[in-house]
Amino acid sequence: MTEVRGCNLPEDLYYLIDKHVWAKPMEDGTLRVGMTAVAAKLAGSNLAGVTFKAKNIGQEIAQGKSLATVESSKFVGPVPAPVTGVLIRGNEKLAADPNFVSRDPYGEGWIAEIKPANWDADKGSLATGADGIAAYQAKLEADNISCS
Amino acid sequence: MADDKILIVMTSGPDTPRRCATPFFFATLAAAMEYEVTMFFTIDGTLLLKKGMADTVFPKAGGKPVSGFIQDALDAGVKFTACTASMELHDMTTEDLIDGIKMVGGAYMWQLAEDAKTTMTF
Repeated sequence: MTEVRGCNLPEDLYYLIDKHVWAKPMEDGTLRVGMTAVAAKLAGSNLAGVTFKAKNIGQEIAQGKSLATVESSKFVGPVPAPVTGVLIRGNEKLAADPNFVSRDPYGEGWIAEIKPANWDADKGSLATGADGIAAYQAKLEADNISCS
Repeated sequence: MADDKILIVMTSGPDTPRRCATPFFFATLAAAMEYEVTMFFTIDGTLLLKKGMADTVFPKAGGKPVSGFIQDALDAGVKFTACTASMELHDMTTEDLIDGIKMVGGAYMWQLAEDAKTTMTF
């Protein structure tokens, strides 16, 4: 576990830093994606819902476009796709309790699974490993964001 | 999906603070869902776009002013249009408006409504 400014940021994930989302390659070639601890902090700990547009399931979503929408009584925002890919499914557990996202953003609180259009080419646009975490740290410092 | 357009017509103003947060929240939400959202301000809604006015309107006592909800919507990419006739109603000029507002006539509103898949009025 790597902690930066109070934010848990595992080194083995791939981050689209500007959008505060992560991707994790699965054995079957799909990607599990979710919000980072930073995004969870910004959204607050009392989420009212994570919503998927039904017609987006099975459709290709471009990198940076919205996979899902997260809302609380005071906050609303998109969960952007870390890379371009087809939205396979959302995390059904979030319907019962959207606050998995804030409690366990890299585990039970994952948002969606996508089939990436071209992972080998597109993963280069994401930050990962020690260098990636350093880049994320620079972003948090520039924006004066901390999770504590 | 640029054909997914939503129009929100805002007629409520500073006299009814409790009606002035949700329209902006819904607009921000729709933008987060990748809808293309336009708000059209007319009647008293236009008053909320007067510089400084929305800072003084609180949907909930002690809560966030309407200006905060407006900023969230603008940041999310919601387009703001205001009715020129309602400006005259309130003796306002374009200099009175906050930045980012497009002035349009009533016919433009009908065009927006025809192009939109969904129209909501507040």
